[in-house]
Amino acid sequence: MNWLAGAWAVFRKDLRIELRTRYALNSLLLFVLGALLLVLFAVGPRPLSARVQSALLWIVMLFAASIGLGRSFVAEQERGTVLLLQLHTRPSMVFAGKWLFNLVLVGLLTIVAAGPFLFLLDISIRAPGLLASVLALGAVGLASATTLLAALVARAARQGPLLPVLLLPLLVPLLVSGTSATRKAIAGLPWVQAQDELLTLVGFAGATLSASIVLFDFVWTD
Amino acid sequence: MSTSSSPVVPPRVYRLVQGAVFLVLTGVIVAGFLGSIPQLDILEQSARNLYFHVPMWFTLMGATILSAYHSVRYLQTGDRLRDIRAREAAWLALIFGLLGIVTGMVWARFTWYVGTGKWWNFDPKQSMAAVLLLIYGAYFVLRDSIEDRDTRGRIAAVYNLFAVVTMPFLLYIIPRQLPSLHPGGEGSPAFSQTDLAPAMRWVFYPSVLGFLGLFWLLYTQRVRLAWLRDQLRDEPDL
Repeated sequence: MNWLAGAWAVFRKDLRIELRTRYALNSLLLFVLGALLLVLFAVGPRPLSARVQSALLWIVMLFAASIGLGRSFVAEQERGTVLLLQLHTRPSMVFAGKWLFNLVLVGLLTIVAAGPFLFLLDISIRAPGLLASVLALGAVGLASATTLLAALVARAARQGPLLPVLLLPLLVPLLVSGTSATRKAIAGLPWVQAQDELLTLVGFAGATLSASIVLFDFVWTD
Repeated sequence: MSTSSSPVVPPRVYRLVQGAVFLVLTGVIVAGFLGSIPQLDILEQSARNLYFHVPMWFTLMGATILSAYHSVRYLQTGDRLRDIRAREAAWLALIFGLLGIVTGMVWARFTWYVGTGKWWNFDPKQSMAAVLLLIYGAYFVLRDSIEDRDTRGRIAAVYNLFAVVTMPFLLYIIPRQLPSLHPGGEGSPAFSQTDLAPAMRWVFYPSVLGFLGLFWLLYTQRVRLAWLRDQLRDEPDL
């Protein structure tokens, strides 16, 4: 099996299993919507500054990802399908397939979080292109970090809230650059002004993705 | 898995370093508190903290790199001693990091925030250092969550290395993009003429060496102790 076909097959398998029950998808979306409504009730009807708005959006996204994306490898352990995957595919194919699936989930999560958030809080975005690219880069970094750490957590005997504990400190650079660039997008600053943040997000996504690809072999194979 | 050479340091080397560290650190404490320092605006007497705060961070960096190196070697060889070394270096990184934050808070309180009485005001370098400690805390939580020793070593090594990849963002990239009072940022280089007077170098450099030596003593002894515990668990009759 060539590499691309293998990775694509792992992705298709995950997608098909997910579409049978839609458990991860539905729980993730409901979590995001629930968290957004809680935020709206907590802050009340008065308008917020762009700083608070972008902080709330990113916090909801990070917590949703850290809670919702941990299932991908734990489910393989529970179903007892790890051995089959290990026999039929190379580790990098499994990682690529899972990463793609998580990226799709994070993408949906971002759209579901950002859309109602902007609508309900009545925020007008003056630089929509900038916001879209910041969220897209953030989603790539989020998916890369979460996929590797979800594989780590699946090996642990006592799981509980382990994934958020491992993930959140590592995501601080993503949070800092993401909120800062989102604030600039809401304020409608030109792209040049958000150059530092965008480069940091690109670097973070690249660094986490490359490190995950190198390190995943050691997690996956015994 | 495979066993390797024992981690015992020759006693003579150990005693020599112990004596040297004892002498140097005693000298540093005496000279640091009693020696004369140049009177600079804002810094004034707080400049003495240079001898204690900065070596903590050097030691932290050394411990972080050492821990990551042994994690790489563990993944390559599966030698359990490497895992012990990585863990003990991470533990000491946590300790020295805490000391670095505490000394830094005291310093910031009496230079940057002297008018306000604040101890903590979200200076990027301070906050990112706190995040670094959280990462090492998470490393130990992860270790405790895995029963099997070989799996635990491998999974912990992977997390350690993954964290090291994100550390440059925490410690170098993000703090340089935000306004900060801490030296080493834009517009305030560390160790310029205004920070480090020539006379202070005679205490500062021995202090760095002294604290690195202290780290080495603690590290080798902790590794040895953990190694003995490990051996005893394998062969309880020993």
